[in-house]
Amino acid sequence: MTATATATATAAPTRRLTIAKAMSEAIGLSMDADPKVIVLGEDIGALGGVFGTTQGLLERFGAARVRDTPISETAFIGAAVGLAAAGMRPIVELMFVDFFGVCMDAIYNLAAKQSYFSGGHVCCPMVLMTSVGGGYGDAGQHSQCLYATFAHLPGLKVVMPSNAYDAKGLMLSAIADANPVVFMFHKALQGMGWLGTVPGSIVHVPSEMYTVPIGRAATVRPGRDITLVGLGLTVHLALQAATTLAAQGIEAEVIDLRSIAPLDREAIAASVAKTRRLIVVDDDYRSFGVSAEVIAGACEGDVDWLSAPARITHPDVPIPYSPALEHPLLPSAAKIVEASTRLCHDKVE
Amino acid sequence: MDVIIPVDLWGEDGDAVIATWLFQSGELVSPGAVLAEVMYEKASMEVTSPGAGRLTILVEAESPVRQGQLIGRIET
Repeated sequence: MTATATATATAAPTRRLTIAKAMSEAIGLSMDADPKVIVLGEDIGALGGVFGTTQGLLERFGAARVRDTPISETAFIGAAVGLAAAGMRPIVELMFVDFFGVCMDAIYNLAAKQSYFSGGHVCCPMVLMTSVGGGYGDAGQHSQCLYATFAHLPGLKVVMPSNAYDAKGLMLSAIADANPVVFMFHKALQGMGWLGTVPGSIVHVPSEMYTVPIGRAATVRPGRDITLVGLGLTVHLALQAATTLAAQGIEAEVIDLRSIAPLDREAIAASVAKTRRLIVVDDDYRSFGVSAEVIAGACEGDVDWLSAPARITHPDVPIPYSPALEHPLLPSAAKIVEASTRLCHDKVE
Repeated sequence: MDVIIPVDLWGEDGDAVIATWLFQSGELVSPGAVLAEVMYEKASMEVTSPGAGRLTILVEAESPVRQGQLIGRIET
């Protein structure tokens, strides 16, 4: 609690931040604490990041530590891997995850393998932060998620917050990590206005340093009848669906993955052991994705399923530009309600 | 109490937009709490609470706003 809040007993003791502000705050605290922490990327200086991830940092830390780069992901993400090998702790922004093509060698052949190939003698303490997700008519090269593309590769940790508290704590964990962490943030949760913002992503954030551990999911709503697993935006869709389902007598448990790699298989197993029904909601492409991995992991356990697990995803086509085409393809609360009702058919009249 | 966009928030004479409200109507807010973020020409600015009380939002997020405009009320 802040001093102001304590003194004003009738007012809410809250200090609310958007995910964008929470990320900026975490980076600023780390830069204050450690001169080795620097930020690189396109428009991360004076603009403060296209998605607001570096707000106020140039003014506080100067252009030597907050470096606007030319539009060459090949160059500046490669440079970050080298900086990390030389003992710096770079945070580098890949503006849209869709742009990974020209810098993937640096990410998966250099950064991800650095520690393994050097016998642990050279680590790679870099954070790659990148925007994901569609829903606002920006077409197939600016709307993808590609969670599984990165999570598939050994040596990379991949995280994504659904709210500002987790954003700050996960970012502080990512910066402290000795190895590369891909920090994904969903555009629809960022709080930038022009993309719309899901209100549930804006939560109380303490001003001090704290961490949210990488590799641990959170149960954001307890329930006994069905497990809904989501990440980022789809957590909010699942929560919305859970409210509707509760009115029909179905109590959904909602799990926020928070970390994609490593995946918190224990949390999923514990939930499905109780509910024996599972739906994964994932706005990435359907096949070979996070949804498939969550379901496969759950099925490797000894679960006496009441219904076959299901997934709600974007289908295996590039994300369309036209809202009339794009919106029906994305996961929605209505789709989750429909699928949950189907899986819980024995509970519904 | 009125929640007003400060008359000198972005200096120039142009429209901004409420990027997001950090609280919803009906919630209790503290004095000085950041209530909303306003975007002007890709720059983000904050509107803080003039006092303690229950917030009523008068201008929704994503709406255009001018400096000096009334955007909410706080009832003590």
